[in-house]
Amino acid sequence: MNAEDRDTGATKTSRDPRLSRQRMLWQFRLLRLARSRRVPTDAPAGDDAPVRRRLGFAFWLAVAWLVAMAFVAIFTPLLPMADPTEVAFSGPRESPSWDAWFGTDALGRDVFSRTMHGARISLAVGGFAIVFGMVVGGGLGMLAGYYRGRLDQTVGFVFFVLLSFPALVLAILITATLERSLLVVSLTLGILSVAPVGLLSRASTLVFAEREFVSAARVLGARNGRIIVRELLPNVVIPMGALTLLGMAVAVVAEGSLAFLGLSVAGEDSISWGKMIVDGSGLRDLQNATHVTMFPVAVMFVTVLALNFAGDRIRQYFDVKELAF
Amino acid sequence: MQLVAVLFAVTFLGFASMNLVGDPLVNVVGALAELDCEGIEAGTVEDTSADVASSDCDTVAAAKAEYHLDRAVPVRYVLWLSDMATGDLGTSFQNDQPVSEVIREKLPETVILLVMAQIVSLGLAIPWGVIAAYRANRAFDRGSTVASFGLLSIPNFALGVVLLYMLALRWQIFPSAYESENLGGLLFSLILPALTLGLPLAASYQRLLRTDLITTLQEDFVHMARAKGLPPLRIMFRHALRPSMFSVVTVFGVSTGSLIGGSLVVEQIFGIPGIGREIVTAVVRDDFPVVLAIVMVVAVTFVVINFLVDLLYSWLDPRVRAR
Repeated sequence: MNAEDRDTGATKTSRDPRLSRQRMLWQFRLLRLARSRRVPTDAPAGDDAPVRRRLGFAFWLAVAWLVAMAFVAIFTPLLPMADPTEVAFSGPRESPSWDAWFGTDALGRDVFSRTMHGARISLAVGGFAIVFGMVVGGGLGMLAGYYRGRLDQTVGFVFFVLLSFPALVLAILITATLERSLLVVSLTLGILSVAPVGLLSRASTLVFAEREFVSAARVLGARNGRIIVRELLPNVVIPMGALTLLGMAVAVVAEGSLAFLGLSVAGEDSISWGKMIVDGSGLRDLQNATHVTMFPVAVMFVTVLALNFAGDRIRQYFDVKELAF
Repeated sequence: MQLVAVLFAVTFLGFASMNLVGDPLVNVVGALAELDCEGIEAGTVEDTSADVASSDCDTVAAAKAEYHLDRAVPVRYVLWLSDMATGDLGTSFQNDQPVSEVIREKLPETVILLVMAQIVSLGLAIPWGVIAAYRANRAFDRGSTVASFGLLSIPNFALGVVLLYMLALRWQIFPSAYESENLGGLLFSLILPALTLGLPLAASYQRLLRTDLITTLQEDFVHMARAKGLPPLRIMFRHALRPSMFSVVTVFGVSTGSLIGGSLVVEQIFGIPGIGREIVTAVVRDDFPVVLAIVMVVAVTFVVINFLVDLLYSWLDPRVRAR
C-alpha cells in the first residue's frame, strides 16, 4: 500500500486521547517498521482491540508445535518408534507407561506411534486441500475479478452453487461416487475450499484492479496477462496467504470428520486421527481405557488450535478481514 | 429468480454425480450391473445361480425404469427432476423401501436435534455476548475470548466424545444412549448431542454479537436511552439487542449447513437414528439412491433456508426494507 494510507492510519492513532506522546511515537515507529498495510477501516471506536504489530510469544509456540508435527509427519517411518500396526507385548488397553507413552489400544497397538502416524494423512490432506483451493479458487477468483462481465457472473454462480451444499454433505456425495483413495479425499476437500478462497481473491482483485498502479501499467501498454501476474498477483497473494493456516485447520477437521464416519482414506494401514478417535469411542473403551481416545483428541485439538491461533495472528498482522469458511 | 437457478444447478450436480461419473447403472445397483440379463432371459447364458440372478435381474430392470436409463441424458435429467418434484425419490436397492419413506421416518429426529442445537446455542450466546459487550475488555470478556477460541478449535466429533465421556459416563448426568419411548426422554437424551453441536456455534454467535453490540452501544439512541435513566438491562435487551443481531442472523443461515454436517457425526456418536446416520450407512452399503436423495433434500432445504434468512433481514432492520 502507499504512503497516503500509512499517514491516515497514523493520524487516526494519534487522535486517541488515551495514548501518551511516548507511546504514540513508539506505535508510529512500529507502524512504519511493519510497513503497515492497514487501511483505516470503519471499525467502531469502541472496539479497541489493538492492532497487533507483533506476533507474540504464543504465536511462535504455535508455530513450533506445527513445525514439530510436520517434522514428525514427514519422518515418522525413520524415527525409533513402535510399529503402529504391530500388536505390542504388553497387551490390549494398557495404561500409558514408559514403554508405550500413550498406552495401547483395544488391539494392543501403540497409541503414541499411531497418533504420530495419524499426523501424516491429516496434514497431507489438509495441506493439499488448501493449496488446491488457492491455485484453482484463487486463479478463478482473480480472472473473474479482473475481467468482470460474463466470466465473473459464471464463476460467481459456480462458487455460489458450491457454497449452497453443506460442506460435509457435498464431500459425502463425492466420496460415495468415487473410490476413497488419498488423492480423491484430498481433491474433495480441495474442491470444497475453492469457493471461499475464490470469493476472497475475487474481492481483493476487484479492489486492486481499481487502483492507480494498475491503470498506470495499462497506460504503459502492459497486457492483461502481465497486469494480472506482475501487478495484481503479489497484492492478492498476501490476504490469501494470510488465510492459509486457517483454511488448513478447516480441512484437517473436515478430514477428521470424514475419517470419523469411516469415509476417509480407506485401507487398514491408513491411520488417521478421526479413525483412531472413532475406534476408541465405544462405550467400553471410553470407560476402561480413556487414553485410547483422549490422546488423539488432545493432539488433534492442539494442532487445530495451533493452526487457528497462528492463522488468526497472521490474519491480524496483515489486517485481512475475517472470512467465514 | 436466483433461487430457481441455484436449485437447478444444485440438482444438476447431484444428477451429474450419478449419471456422468462412471456408469450410472453401476452407480445405482453396484455389482449387479455386470449381469447379462438378456442372456439369462433368453436362456443362452448358463448360470448356476439362475434363481438368484432372476430376482436380481428384476432389480436391475426396476433400476433402469426408475432412473430412465434407456433415455438420453438430457431427457433423463428432466424426467428425474419431475420425479423428485412429485415426491418420488427412488427406491433403496438394499431393502426395497421407497426413499421418501425412509426420509420421512428419519427426518424428525434430525430436525429436532438441529432445532435444539440452535436453541441451545442462541440461549447461551445471547446472555454471553451481552455480558461480554457490556463489560468489554474486562476480565470476563477476555476469558470468554479465550474460551470461544478454544471451543471453535475443537472438532465436533472430538467434543462429542469428550462430552459423552465426561457427562454421560463419568458423572452420569445425561443418558449415553438415545431413547424414544416418550417425548420427555427423547428430548432429555438429545441434550448432550445438542450441546455438542451448539457449544461451538454459541462461541461464534457470541463473538459476532459482542462486536455488533459494541458498535450499537456507541449510537445516539443508546445514549438517549441511558440519559433517560433506563436500567442497563432494559437498554441492552430492549434497545440494543435487536439492531445488533445482523451478523448472527446471517451466520444463522450459513451455520445450518455446518450443523447438518455436524449432525452426521453427532448422530453417529450418540446413536440417533436420523438422516445423518442413514446417509452414512447408505454410503458404506453403496445404496446410492438413498445417498443421492438425502443429499438433494438437504441441499434444497439449505438453499431455501438461506433465502428465507435474506427475507428476515427486512424484519430486523427496517432500513433494509426502505432500500
